[in-house]
Amino acid sequence: MMAPGSLVDSSTRVGFSARRQRLRIASYAIAIGVAILFLLPLYWMISSSLKPEYQVLASPPVWIPNPVRWANYPEALSYVPFGRYTLNTLSISLLTVLGHVISCTVVAYGFARLRAPGKEALFVVLLATMMLPYPVTMIPIYIGFNTVGWINTILPLVVPAFFGSPFYIFLLRQFFLTIPPELEDAARIDGASLLQTLWYVILPTVSPAMATVAVFSFQTSWNDFLQPLIYLHEQTKYTISLGLSFFRSSYDVRWAYLMAVSFVTMLPIVIVFFLAQRMFIEGITLTGMKG
Amino acid sequence: MSRLSRYAGFVVGVILLATACTTPEPQIIERTVEVTKEVEVIVTSVPEVIEKTVEVTKEVEVVVTATPQPLPDGAKIILRVGTGDSGEGLNPHQEIIARFEEENPDILVQLEAVSGRDYYTRLFTQIAAGDAPDIMQIGDDAVPNFVDNGAFLSLDDFISGEFPLDTSIYLPGTLDPGQWEGTQWLLPKDFSPLAVYYNKAIFDDAGVAYPEDGWTWDEFLETAQTLTQDTDGDGDTDIWGAQLTANWTTGFEYFIAAAGGSLISEDGTEFVGYMDSEDAVQAVQFFSDLYNVHKVAPPPADFSLWAGGNSQFGNGQAAMRLFGRWPLAGYRDNPNVDLGMVGVPVGDERANTLFWGGFGIFSGTEHPEAAWRFLRFYAGEQGSDVWKDWAIPPVAAAAEAAGLTEDPIEGVWISELDYLVPRAYVFTPYWGQTADPALRKALETVLIDPDADVQAVMEQAAQEAQNALEDQM
Amino acid sequence: MKPIRTGKRLNLRRNEAISFYLCISPWLIGFVLFVLGPMLASLAISVLRWDLLGEASFVGLRNYERVFTRDPLVWQSLKVTTIYTAVYVPMELVGGLALALLMNQKLRIERLLRTVYYLPSVLPGVAFVVLWMWILHPDVGLINTLLSYVGIDGPRWLVDPDWALTALLLMSMWGLGRSMVIYLASLQGIGRQYYEAAAIDGANYWQAFWRITIPMLTPTIYFNLVLSVISTFQTFTSAYVGTDGGPLDSTLFYVLYLFRQAFQFFRMGYASALAWVLFVIILGLTLMIVRSSRRWVFYGGERE
Repeated sequence: MMAPGSLVDSSTRVGFSARRQRLRIASYAIAIGVAILFLLPLYWMISSSLKPEYQVLASPPVWIPNPVRWANYPEALSYVPFGRYTLNTLSISLLTVLGHVISCTVVAYGFARLRAPGKEALFVVLLATMMLPYPVTMIPIYIGFNTVGWINTILPLVVPAFFGSPFYIFLLRQFFLTIPPELEDAARIDGASLLQTLWYVILPTVSPAMATVAVFSFQTSWNDFLQPLIYLHEQTKYTISLGLSFFRSSYDVRWAYLMAVSFVTMLPIVIVFFLAQRMFIEGITLTGMKG
Repeated sequence: MSRLSRYAGFVVGVILLATACTTPEPQIIERTVEVTKEVEVIVTSVPEVIEKTVEVTKEVEVVVTATPQPLPDGAKIILRVGTGDSGEGLNPHQEIIARFEEENPDILVQLEAVSGRDYYTRLFTQIAAGDAPDIMQIGDDAVPNFVDNGAFLSLDDFISGEFPLDTSIYLPGTLDPGQWEGTQWLLPKDFSPLAVYYNKAIFDDAGVAYPEDGWTWDEFLETAQTLTQDTDGDGDTDIWGAQLTANWTTGFEYFIAAAGGSLISEDGTEFVGYMDSEDAVQAVQFFSDLYNVHKVAPPPADFSLWAGGNSQFGNGQAAMRLFGRWPLAGYRDNPNVDLGMVGVPVGDERANTLFWGGFGIFSGTEHPEAAWRFLRFYAGEQGSDVWKDWAIPPVAAAAEAAGLTEDPIEGVWISELDYLVPRAYVFTPYWGQTADPALRKALETVLIDPDADVQAVMEQAAQEAQNALEDQM
Repeated sequence: MKPIRTGKRLNLRRNEAISFYLCISPWLIGFVLFVLGPMLASLAISVLRWDLLGEASFVGLRNYERVFTRDPLVWQSLKVTTIYTAVYVPMELVGGLALALLMNQKLRIERLLRTVYYLPSVLPGVAFVVLWMWILHPDVGLINTLLSYVGIDGPRWLVDPDWALTALLLMSMWGLGRSMVIYLASLQGIGRQYYEAAAIDGANYWQAFWRITIPMLTPTIYFNLVLSVISTFQTFTSAYVGTDGGPLDSTLFYVLYLFRQAFQFFRMGYASALAWVLFVIILGLTLMIVRSSRRWVFYGGERE
C-alpha cells in the first residue's frame, strides 16, 4: 500500500490527494509510535547511565536520575583504558570492512552472473558453512592459528575477512541478480573488459548494497566479542566489547558504568549510519535503470 | 565514478590512518606497565572522597614472538597470568605485579584478565591448544577436574625447594581447596565463607536487638518475621526480613550441612539416600518456607544472576542478607545500608562452606621456576600485604596485623572459617554435570511453585543426579 | 541466444567458467584454509570423548547414540529452539518489511526515524541483553512498571518458565532494524518505471504493492528467510547472558546446551556430535527453502 514517493509526482492529483493525506497522517502516527517504543529502552539506558549505582535498581524505579551523576562517564571510561580499546577496535573494524567489501563483491558477482559447472553445489556449500555452530569449530580454528603463531594478534580477526563471508556474499548476490544484465551486455558489446565492466558499470549500481555490507560488517566487527576474547590476550590489545565485559563480574553488574560506556561506544556507529543513509538507502542517481 | 573513487579514497585514507595509529605488531612490543588507579569512595552524593593512588610507570622494550622461541640474551622472561577478575578487582593484582617486578627485574608479568564465565571459555580454548597462561586462576570446584587432567604442576617440590614456602602461615581452611589427593596444586588468591549482613537502621527502627554469633535457625526465622513489614499498608511487603540465595546451588550446601545432612556419599557414588535424605529435605523445606510460607525472603528477580539477582538489601529494603563477602565493599559505601555483620545461624549443626579462588602453574609452562617465584610472592606474605587493603588476606599474620581479625565486620568472615565442612564437589569430579543441574532445578521448582512437595522434588533431584552420574562412569 | 559456431561457443562457455572460479577464488581459498579444516576436525572430534584438558579417546558413534536416545535435554532444547524460530522468523520477515515500507516514504523526519529503528541493532550483543534483562526485571523493570501504571500485574518474565521464552522473543523484536535496512536498500532498487506504468494502467496502491513491490522484493525476502532460519536456530547470546537456559530449561536453546556440554561439562566430543546433528537439520530446512525458491523468487536480472 505504500509505493515510493515518486507515485505522487506522476499520478493524477485530485482523486488521490485526500486519501494520501490520511495515509500520511496514519504513517506518521505509526512511525512515531513505534519509534517511541524503540526509544524507551534507550532512554532507560541513558538515564541509568547517569544514576548513582545504588539507584539503578531502585524500587519503585527512578525515571529521572537524582542526583545526575555526570561523573559516571569519565569514571566508566577510565575503568579500563577505553581510548586504547577504541583505537584497537577501530583498526580491526576498518580492515574487516575493507576485506569484506572487496572480496564479497567479487565473489558475489561470480555467483550471480557467471555460469559454470558446479555453481549450484558451491552455493549450497557457501550456505552450509554458516550452519555449524561456532563453539565446535572454535577450538580447531584456534589451534590452527596457534600453529602459525597468529595468536595474540589481530590477524585471525581480520585476515579471513579478505576471503569473503557467506552472509555478505549471499546478500550481494541477491542484489546483483535484481539488476537486469542488459547494462553489462551493452558495455561488453562496446568492448569493455570484465574488469572495466565491473568497475564502471556494475559497482555504481550495486553500491547501495555494498554500502549496506560496509555498515553491517563494521558494526558486527565493532561489537564482536567471542573472537577477541579468545585471540587477544594482552590487555593492551583488547577491544571495546572486551572492555565492556569488565563491568560484569561473576557476581555483580555495574549497571551505571555499563550503560554509560555502551552508550558512548554506540554513538560512532549511529552517527555513521545516520550520515551514510544517503548513500545506500536513498540511492545514487545514475543514468541508466533508475529513473 | 568520481564519487565512487572519492568514497574509496576516503575509506582507504581512514584505514591507513587508523592502522598507522595503532600499529598492532606481533613482533616487537613496547611494554608500558602502568598502574594508575584512583579509588574513590563516595559516601553520599556530597562527595567525601577518599583517594588511593598507586602509580608506577615503567617502559621496557622486549622482543617477543607469539610462538615460543629461545629468548635472546638480556631479554626478560615473560610470565602470563590469567585471571577472571575485572575492573577494580584487578588493582590488587597490578599492585602485586608491580612490586614483584621491582624485586625480580628479570621477570615481566603480563596480566590477562577476562571477567566472569567468559574467562573459562578462553581458558579451555587455550589449554586445548596448549597455549595457556603460565599461571592460571581457577575456582575451587574446578580443581579436581583440572588436576586430574594434568593441567597443573604439583607444588610440593617447590614448597620445599629453593624458594620455600611456609604453609603454616595461612588462615584455617584456606589452603585446602588447592589440594587434591594429598598434593598441593594451587595457592589461595581469595576466599569467602558465608555470613549474614544486616542493616542496623532497620533493626533500630523496629526496636529489634542485633543478632548474636551462634544464633539458631529459629532465632533467625523469628528475627526475619518481626522485621518483615508492610509499612504503607498497601498489602505489599515493603521491608523484607532476609534476602536469601535463591537458586544458587553451591551456596545452598550450607543449609544442607547445617541441617546435618550431605548431598553425596563420601565415596562419591551415591546421591540417592543423601540428596533426598531427611536432613536434606528438612533443609530445603526450611529454605522454601522462608520464601513461600513465612514470606520473609523477597522472590528471586532473575535466575541467571547470581543468587537470584535481588536488590532489596542494597536498596535498604531488606533487613538481612545471607551471602559471601563479595558485595561487602559496595554495601559499606551504600547510603541505604548501615552495615552490621554476624555469622550464619546454626541449624542442627554449626557449619559453613568456603568459596575460593586460587592460582596454579600450568603444566605446559616454559618457565616453571619463574612462575613459582611469582606464585610464592603472590600468595605469600608480600601478596597478602597488598591484599589486606582489598579483601581478607589468606596469610593469618597479615590479617591480624591489619586489625581484620578484631574488626566487627571483617572479623566475622575470619571466625566463620572455624566451622568449615567440605563441599560436595570434593567427593566427585562430576559435580557440575550431575548434582549441580539437578539441585538447581530442584531449588527453582520450590521457588516457583509454593505448593511443590519438597520430598518429591528432592527425590527426583537425587534420581536425576544419580542417573547423570552413572552416565559418566 | 543464437549459436554462432559450436567451437567458439564452447570457448566462451569455458572462459566463463574460468572467470567464475577466478571470481570466487577468494572465498574458495578461504574456505579451504579457514573453514573446511575445522569443520572436518569437529566431525572427527564428534566420534571422540574429549574433555579439552587431557587425552581424547575414540568412542565411535556413542555420542550420536546418546543424542538420539539417551538425552531428554536434547529434545527439550530442540523444542525450545524450534518454537522460538517458528515464531521469530515470520515476525522478523513481516516486521522488518513493514518497518521498511513505513520508512520508505518521504516523511520529513525519516532519516531520524530510520536511525532510531536501527539503533538497537547497534548495541553490542551483551549490552543489549543485559539492558533487556533489566527492563524485564520483575520488580523494578521498565515493562512491569509501565504495566503497573495501567493496573496490570506483570508476569515475572525471566524467572517464570512460562514467560521466559516470550520475554526473549520480545527482546529480539527490538533488533528488527537490521532486516529493515536490508529491505529498504532493495526497495530503493525497484525501478520507478514499474510504478509509473502501473499508475498509468490505473492500478491502486494495493495492486501496486502485491503485483510490483512484493515480487520485486522476493530476492530479499528469500535472503532474509534463509539467513533468519540459519541464524535463529543458532541463537545463543540472549540465552547465555539472559537466562542461562532457565528457568527450568524453558529457554534452553540448542547451541546453549551444546556450549554447556563443551565448556562446562568437559564433553567436547558430545558437543560436536550435537553440532553436526543441528547442521543436518538446518541444512535440510535450507535446502527445502532453496528448492522452493525457484517457484516464488523472481529475479529481474537473471540470465537464462
